[in-house]
Amino acid sequence: MMDSTRIARREFFRRSAIATAGAASAVYFPVGRIPLARAAAPAAYAEAPLLADLVRQGKLPPLAERLPAPDDILVVKPFEEIGQYGGTWRMVWKGPADFHAYGRENYDPVLRWPRDPHGPIQPGLAKRWQFSDGGKTLTLFFRKGLRWSDGHPWTVDDIIFWWEDIETNKELTAAPHSEWVVNDTPMTLEKVDDVTIRLKFAGPNGLVLQELAFHGNQWPLNFERFGFFAPAHYLKPFHPKYTTAIKDYRLFNEKADDLNPERPAMTPWPVSVYRPGDAKLIAARNPYYWKVDPEGRQLPYIDRLELTLVENNEAVAAQALSCQVDMQYRNMDLKKFPLFASKAKDCDYRVIRWLSASGSQLFFWPNQSYDGDPVLRKIFQDKNFRIALSVAIDRAKINSVAYLDQGQINAPTVVPDSAYFVPAVAQMYQEYDPKKAAEHLDAAGLKMGPDGKTRLRPDGRPLEVTIETWLTGGSADLDAIQLAASDWSAVGVKTAVKTMSRDLYWPRATGNAVQIATWNGDRGIAPFVDPIYIFPFDERSWMAPAFGTYYKTKGRQGEKPVGALAEMQTMFDQFKATVDRAKQVAIGKRLVQMAVEECTTICTVGLVPVPLIVKTNFRNVPEHYTQDWIIMSPGNLDTVQFFFKKA
Amino acid sequence: MIAFIVRRLLAMIPTLFFVSIACFIIIQLPPGDFLTSLQALAASSGSGADKAAMDNLRHQYGLDQPKYVRYVKWIAGFPRGDFGYSFEWKRPVRELIAARLGLTVLLSVLSLVLMWLIAVPVGIYSATHQYSGTDNTLTALAFLGLSVPDFLLGLIYLFIGIFVFGVSVTGLASPRLADAPWSAAKALDLSSHLFWPALILSLGGMTQLVRILRGSMLEVIGQPFVRTARAKGLGERVVIHKHAVKVAINPLVSVMGMQLPQLISGATILGIVLSLPTTGPMFIRALTSQDMYLAGTFLLFLALMLMIGNLLADVALAWIDPRIRYR
Repeated sequence: MMDSTRIARREFFRRSAIATAGAASAVYFPVGRIPLARAAAPAAYAEAPLLADLVRQGKLPPLAERLPAPDDILVVKPFEEIGQYGGTWRMVWKGPADFHAYGRENYDPVLRWPRDPHGPIQPGLAKRWQFSDGGKTLTLFFRKGLRWSDGHPWTVDDIIFWWEDIETNKELTAAPHSEWVVNDTPMTLEKVDDVTIRLKFAGPNGLVLQELAFHGNQWPLNFERFGFFAPAHYLKPFHPKYTTAIKDYRLFNEKADDLNPERPAMTPWPVSVYRPGDAKLIAARNPYYWKVDPEGRQLPYIDRLELTLVENNEAVAAQALSCQVDMQYRNMDLKKFPLFASKAKDCDYRVIRWLSASGSQLFFWPNQSYDGDPVLRKIFQDKNFRIALSVAIDRAKINSVAYLDQGQINAPTVVPDSAYFVPAVAQMYQEYDPKKAAEHLDAAGLKMGPDGKTRLRPDGRPLEVTIETWLTGGSADLDAIQLAASDWSAVGVKTAVKTMSRDLYWPRATGNAVQIATWNGDRGIAPFVDPIYIFPFDERSWMAPAFGTYYKTKGRQGEKPVGALAEMQTMFDQFKATVDRAKQVAIGKRLVQMAVEECTTICTVGLVPVPLIVKTNFRNVPEHYTQDWIIMSPGNLDTVQFFFKKA
Repeated sequence: MIAFIVRRLLAMIPTLFFVSIACFIIIQLPPGDFLTSLQALAASSGSGADKAAMDNLRHQYGLDQPKYVRYVKWIAGFPRGDFGYSFEWKRPVRELIAARLGLTVLLSVLSLVLMWLIAVPVGIYSATHQYSGTDNTLTALAFLGLSVPDFLLGLIYLFIGIFVFGVSVTGLASPRLADAPWSAAKALDLSSHLFWPALILSLGGMTQLVRILRGSMLEVIGQPFVRTARAKGLGERVVIHKHAVKVAINPLVSVMGMQLPQLISGATILGIVLSLPTTGPMFIRALTSQDMYLAGTFLLFLALMLMIGNLLADVALAWIDPRIRYR
């Protein structure tokens, strides 16, 4: 029964692939280069009918007073065509833990990730920037006349407020985030005027532009607690420093929260109606939004967002299948693709597939800093052993059983759409070759034992390893883990799989207690703002958490790495200190290449597509796109230019 | 009768106290706390959610205090209507649960009413027409209803709604009325959305009641007082409804007290399947994210509802059967 439905699904994909791409077995989906967003300034400005009414009623100042200075308005070029005003974009979300379901449409940081990942960082709230002092100083020039969604002027004082009273306030932030700290010294801010600010670092900061696109948003980004500015005029009355009657930070945290409808924002759709626990979250258009289209019409095109609260992915599908969503990109399971397609006509939507930016849906990390067993640790540190594990995996089988043949074989770390992609190593150690695995295991000194099934460790004991994972039950990933474990056992590395809840797994994995860790791969487009999967960056780099801790704490904790891993840490130091983008990309590519060659991460099948439902008349959405949370997909596509096309 | 009710109400207070201790212990049994689960969630999306940051929040939320201090603080707030703070939703628990508790009570009461409205006539009919074609059919249906879990019925309902009728069956309001102010149309819409979940929820209990009533009626109908009533020349209708049913219904009332917990746990699962804004989904979510005060308060309120339900069942029984009242 199970098999026949799987085959039916696969057949379905095969046919739809022929229909859309014209070829059944292309190695990669064709990736359309998405043009950049900039366009020339328009001659005159216009606004949504909804807002024009409010202006006529005297409830809102005229458009010219709400937009920034004419030269400073950001003009967004639509992806396909100029849009029309109006409509409600209906989506489904799973509550505050699923914050991104709302946050990604409202991606508006200081600088922006480009639509095309190969392109340079784009202007956002800041219109331009300038490095000086050899990369130690960055001057940010903001748009003149920016306003918060309540009409209050936005100035660099909102950045200074965040820095002085949030980021360096120990009660709110234990320690300033690493992106604002260079050579152990937090940055200093220097206000030039209301729209110009200087960021001064202790050394050249080559990552700062990417960080401003990644975390240059309004604080706190829900539970992630990242940001770069906050509405000082609104929040100061709730801050104990400015209002002595307030003793703790609970109220401040509540008021600063992204889902608080009272809180002013710089985003296209601030939350307008929502109380925690409500079945619906409504976000309405920001009348002071600071972007227009090439015809001078104020964005966004769509009037409001409406997010319905559900409990699980099944309920997301139920909502989608009863035609209750207009565009849904989150919490959509690949295995439901045929089901979604079956309702496409009734509900009048398209089902499109975006690639996920995962070199591999699932990563395995033999822990090179494992301290529970010195012999195993030595084995994990042997490159031969890691290569053996990699070539022992039958990826075609995993793709077929777990991912409906939709994944692609691609070495870990980055995907073809990334600026750091190195074609030469994209298929390295990915071929299924048990014989080669045996050779590498022999070379690692792990001889086959007397039973002919299990190899022996140098100390004579049978070679047994344990994969630990939190991905429990029902998941395609668990199938993939079991298949890899049986492949490893087949070449003589007896592998056990232990599943547990994420709460239990996390402290074990970061605490260096796991032999072979697993996690879903992502970050495959712009990995270096949080390069945990490339080299031991911190305790979350499970190829060697103790070495990562050492790097993060500058040697105060953890263990000093040696060899290639230490070399990669030094290379990343260079990466961070390189302001020249071309040189930086070259270093990044070398790091990626080294990570693959060292085989620090063992991967399965990557680039698994994610199905999306998009109403037929919901336009300006590209069909070919690689999505990732780091670039806040689809935030970097400029959600403000999505629109409902009227017949 | 009043003394009986007051006595029972007073007895609830120590019970509630012990239940609150039990709840507090149970929700803290899993290892870690809310922040360990938050850390796993937040840290996978960027650095910074390290131990220092979490300890900071732990201190802010008072999670670094000993357990008994937290318990006393939690329980001390009750008389003021303060049930603690929800970490996940960043709001006082009271604000979060009020609306959801109301809907849960509404759904449970509605299914209880449906259960009785349908079960009693069907049970009587089955007993008075024993082994007839209708009785056999109803018996077969009752066994079916007893053995099919309510979440499965929920899924079938979802499937039929989507693929046969093409309508939205999740949630409690039609999309077009969701943000409309309260009106007759919206109330009607709500009750039409509540009807099917309530019916599904009541089905298990309903079939149980039918079986019990049928057995109990059959026993009563054979008793001498029924024969006497018939001998007196009373009409069949009066004999059955006035004399037999009044006696036969006793076991049903006692069963009602036991059905409430089933209704409530059934409502939790059904609430998740159908995305109803009842306590169930939020309760489960609070348990998995270790949002302890929210989970504890839900547990406590569910226990309270159970006690009240039991009390009502006892009162009803005492009202119907004088022997209990005077004991």
